[in-house]
Amino acid sequence: MHSPVRISALLLIAAVVPASATVGYSVIANDPGPWPQILSSVGFTAEPATTAGIYVARPGTPASPHWPAKLESGAVLVLEGESPLAAAFGFRSTKQTVQLASMQDVHEPKLPLILQKPIEISRFSIPEKARVFTKERWTGAPTLAGFRQGKGAVLWVAMSPGQLGYERFPYILHALADLGVQLPFRDTRLWAFFDYSYRTRVDLDYFAARWRKAGISALHVASWHFYDSDPERDAYLKRLIEACHREGILVYAWVELPHVSEKFWSDHPEWREKTAVLQDAHLDWRKLMNLTNRDCFRTVSLGVQNLIGRFDWDGVNLAELYFESLEGASNPARFTPFNDTVRAQFREAAGFDPVEIYTTHKDAASLRQFLDFRAGLVKKMQEEWMAEIEKCRRLRPHLDIVLTHVDDRFDTGMKDAIGADAARVLPLLSTHDFTFLIEDPATVWNLGPQRYPEIARRYQPITPKPEKMAIDINVVDRYQDVYPTKQQTGTELFELVHLAAHAFPRVALYFENSILAPDLALLAAASANVNRVEHVGLKTIIDAPRGVGVTWSGGALVDGKPWPVQDDNTLWLPAGTHTIEPASQPASVRLLALNGTLRAAQITGSNKLDFAYESASRAIALLDRKPAQLEIDGLASKPDVLNAPAGHFALLLPRGQHLVSLTAE
Amino acid sequence: MRDLFTRFVLASAMALTCVAAPPDPAASPDYAALTRAYEALKIKNYDGAIAAFLDAVKAAPGHTATRKDLAYTYLKIGEADAARDQFGEAMKINPADFHVALEFAFLCFESKDDAITYKATARRIFNRIRESGDTVSRATAEQAFQNIDEPLRTGIARWTQALATNDSLSAHEELASLGEQRDELELAAEHYLKAWHLLPARKSLLLDLGRVRKNLNQLEEANAALLAASRGGEPRVAERARELLPERYPFVYEFRRALALDPQNAELHRELAYLLMRMGEKGEARTQEAEDEFRAITETNPDDLLSAAQLGFLYLSRKDTIRAMPLLQRVLAGSDEELASHVRTALHMPAKVYANALHTTGESGTEARVMAEKSLKAGYLKDALKYLKLAHDADPVDFSVMLKMAWAYNMLREDGVAMRWFALARKSPDSAISEEAEKAWETLRPSQARVRTTAWMFPFYSSRWKDVFSYGQIKTEFRIDRLPFRPYLSTRFVGDLRRTTPGAYAGALPQNLSESSFILAFGVASSKPWHGITEWAEAGSAIGYLSHHMLPDYRGGASWARSRGKGIGSETPGFFYETTADGVFVSRFNNDFLAYSQNRAGWTLAPIQLVWNANITTDAKHQYWANFVETGPGIRFHMAAMPPSLLFSFSVMRGVYLINTGNPRRPNFNDFRAGLWYALTR
Repeated sequence: MHSPVRISALLLIAAVVPASATVGYSVIANDPGPWPQILSSVGFTAEPATTAGIYVARPGTPASPHWPAKLESGAVLVLEGESPLAAAFGFRSTKQTVQLASMQDVHEPKLPLILQKPIEISRFSIPEKARVFTKERWTGAPTLAGFRQGKGAVLWVAMSPGQLGYERFPYILHALADLGVQLPFRDTRLWAFFDYSYRTRVDLDYFAARWRKAGISALHVASWHFYDSDPERDAYLKRLIEACHREGILVYAWVELPHVSEKFWSDHPEWREKTAVLQDAHLDWRKLMNLTNRDCFRTVSLGVQNLIGRFDWDGVNLAELYFESLEGASNPARFTPFNDTVRAQFREAAGFDPVEIYTTHKDAASLRQFLDFRAGLVKKMQEEWMAEIEKCRRLRPHLDIVLTHVDDRFDTGMKDAIGADAARVLPLLSTHDFTFLIEDPATVWNLGPQRYPEIARRYQPITPKPEKMAIDINVVDRYQDVYPTKQQTGTELFELVHLAAHAFPRVALYFENSILAPDLALLAAASANVNRVEHVGLKTIIDAPRGVGVTWSGGALVDGKPWPVQDDNTLWLPAGTHTIEPASQPASVRLLALNGTLRAAQITGSNKLDFAYESASRAIALLDRKPAQLEIDGLASKPDVLNAPAGHFALLLPRGQHLVSLTAE
Repeated sequence: MRDLFTRFVLASAMALTCVAAPPDPAASPDYAALTRAYEALKIKNYDGAIAAFLDAVKAAPGHTATRKDLAYTYLKIGEADAARDQFGEAMKINPADFHVALEFAFLCFESKDDAITYKATARRIFNRIRESGDTVSRATAEQAFQNIDEPLRTGIARWTQALATNDSLSAHEELASLGEQRDELELAAEHYLKAWHLLPARKSLLLDLGRVRKNLNQLEEANAALLAASRGGEPRVAERARELLPERYPFVYEFRRALALDPQNAELHRELAYLLMRMGEKGEARTQEAEDEFRAITETNPDDLLSAAQLGFLYLSRKDTIRAMPLLQRVLAGSDEELASHVRTALHMPAKVYANALHTTGESGTEARVMAEKSLKAGYLKDALKYLKLAHDADPVDFSVMLKMAWAYNMLREDGVAMRWFALARKSPDSAISEEAEKAWETLRPSQARVRTTAWMFPFYSSRWKDVFSYGQIKTEFRIDRLPFRPYLSTRFVGDLRRTTPGAYAGALPQNLSESSFILAFGVASSKPWHGITEWAEAGSAIGYLSHHMLPDYRGGASWARSRGKGIGSETPGFFYETTADGVFVSRFNNDFLAYSQNRAGWTLAPIQLVWNANITTDAKHQYWANFVETGPGIRFHMAAMPPSLLFSFSVMRGVYLINTGNPRRPNFNDFRAGLWYALTR
């Protein structure tokens, strides 16, 4: 119940509690609605009203004279719908009504926000000082607006954001950020797919810095554009890799076999894959080659080795190495493989040509026979190419390997549709060192974020190494009828990333270009995984199972000792439970960021720093001072340092688990 | 295409720095903004540069160089769509700037949103430049055009061939899309339409069809497709379709065309019907057409309750209840509670409450209580009960709700149930509620007892007759479950004071005033009043206490009573009236049937009532004494200290006989009466 007395009492108590390093939220209602989902998606944790920094007042919340003072001192008040409290801050319903079917938001003004079901709501008058973030498309009636007040802010939303938290207002969190609310945590474990076609003319240094801020630790670069050597393109890729390394971002070669390259397709029509209607398999953007043909295989293998050798890659992602299409046998115009080699092999095994499953062998048993044969071919291809990539480690020992594989546990139709069978591939984790990246199939892109914990649960029994599992979120227009946006953005994207990051050690985003610019600033916060936050006096206790960055400025003691792993805004903690408290000064040498898993760190002298890490590929440490001397596992080593434009220094470190001791200049 | 684009991009990479020389201050109204923009560019502050360029564009919108540099800056930060739009504006200003046109075309080709439209635009621009551009641009455009056109051409051939062997939705879609990109718009329209026929639920295909037909300048066909896409489908598609439709509201013929294309579109039918109805209201005689539309929907889709309701209302408005009622009954029985509520209102039925709806709001108790109050005030007792039950479910210890429930049952004459709720309300910690409940419970309790004995007496003095008359009855009733009547034993007394010896004043008094008898009888009476009427009949013997004779006595009749307003003892003053009507057969009055109507109205000033009386009596045998009217003022009072059912009354009456045949007295009379009423129930 909304008791004015109770709320006032809480506000009075809250006013005497000191500010903490992190901001929690409190919903002033018995039914918190969708607000826990919304706010937790970027790391805000539920706290008692006495210590919270963000308050959500649901419809009907009474006014209280204590709010203005509370806001002046830094509290943030979120007002939902109509209430005496909202009216007290100038958000009042009028007698006019608005038919709400479509909205526009300042963060993506050209992106229509469409409601699945139009709603008639009261039109509100809002205070003059309020900034309108979202409005009804045709009438301009405000639906999300706010203003800063003192050190705090007020944000008003015309109605409930919806059961899932994003059905109506995807950009509530952006509005809060615009009003000055700082996100409490961040992580830098995201991967992102990258296609240079969309970024040919960008400033790569600008983008590398932007990706790092977004929490992206590795780019998986569409490598087929670089399969055939071209001086201009090669120079572009080298610049991209250097820019990324300077910002502590790894770069993987994303290989999309059996698509090889445009030129390869043109040069070798004899090796083109065929569909069931015996046409060349040019499906969507992919031009598929027949890798079961041994001549083709050998040629492509050499080409891939050349590709890997020409550039300073940190890893290889062997992606979607199976057959087409999601429609399976039901659409012969997209169903592969029907090249001569496969047809001959199958004919020999089964006694009939597989094209006959559409003519003289239309029975289910014949189709089943071919589908099983096809799944076997896929597994064989995957093993074969894994071995080919492992050969490349002889040249580049720091290479990480990733196998991107569509999910067939959650969407069980995938095995027959494209021949993917995770249960056959996952045992390879016992004998090969690679990350198994699960691709979210397009058929489930419309389902909510809760699918990620469910996917993780389904893979657990067949995964020998859960720590090597990763999940891919496709941030693209969905073919399903989804609302309010075709592509995931705002709160929906953050909920997806947040839950995926809880369920999997690694989250990949497809793809870098499709993530809308306003979302980049909040992505790192969404990927943070924190189990517990507690404030004891000036100390903050944080339990983060995979380590986390905490919003922090100034020096800090972690577990009672001066802590060197922080930049100007973020303090980085290793996995586990740690206590942070303010220190008078920052460390003399700072590890600003580490692309790798931080295990421990300590200051060992006025310009000396030790830290331990683990990484499946090369690691990159960003330092605020140039390292003069370096020891890795006790052995002196020449620092491999890149100067970054922003004034920090990127130190390249070897793959594996190591202890680094360095002395700054 | 990608290679060509890359080469073009690299060739134009210096474009931004080439134009970055400071502008001439005298010639440029945008000088200050441009200076800021280039200063920002020098330190790679792209956001600052873009803001300054936008200021410059505002100051000098026709300055294409500014737009180009703004576009190049957008490209630096990956805002390709914004860059495309600026190049597009620059191209409009100067179509002969082929470099800008090529930039625009390449970016159009890369566009993600509205990809098909932009790809077609790119192809058209490349086509124009390859025919009319400068030498360098011609070469680039030619190659770009071929790079675009060749895959489209081969794709069309491939999918045409695929369609020849397998008629599939995706093949039609591919073919339509390729056709549209290649400006083969008739082909595109044909296959969008075929694809839509294969999957009519996908309204986006109608949107595509509308767009293509618009580009073909087939505006009426385009509007038909867009109108069909804008109603009854995916909201996103509807929104896009509305963008392409004319801003005005569609005409009737446009609806008709859209329905000809998409006859199953119920929402379109419905909207047309509403439009026709509105036109009908303005006297354009379209109501019949509206009916036709609604009928079409209800026949093809019986689950469309909205249309059923609307059609029912239309029938109802022209008093065709035979057709209206089945439709409205369908709505009432359906799942759309809000719609059913409208139907109930239209049919003057009491409102209905929906438990689930109230419960989901989380405000069921309060809302239900409010609704119950309203229903009680409006006299919708059954609805009041439903709301009260909800309120009780929401808060099972709300005694005020229990009390209201009891009164509602009491008013519905379900006193057995009412008593149970009164009994619960008696336990309220609120003394006002518990006392009221206790009082009511005590009042009702005898009526629900298996055996109930009531006694009443009404002695009064009459100045006209200078006598004291007294009427009384002791009656013991037996309540037998579910029987519609109750048997009883009765002893009546009808006598007077003066005539206490045989022969005294014999014949001086009309026989109805004093029978000088005790009448013992067995009778039956209805258990519950029917519309306020209680029937009774009894048979017994009248024992004259003067004559000592026993005569058979049969009586029976019906009585009806109603009162309103402030009864005596009310806490606040106010108007009241009481009316009773009785019809009685009495065997001993020569099997006469008498009818009485006694009426009182006045003002209650507790404990006193100022009354005006008006009575009429008549009979079947036309006897003078049984046919008169009388009226006059009176006063009644009941002191707090007196037993609850004791009432004193005084009245002064002026009367007239309506039949005077055999009347030994004057036709008019005056009479002062003073009496007391007392009743007791056990």
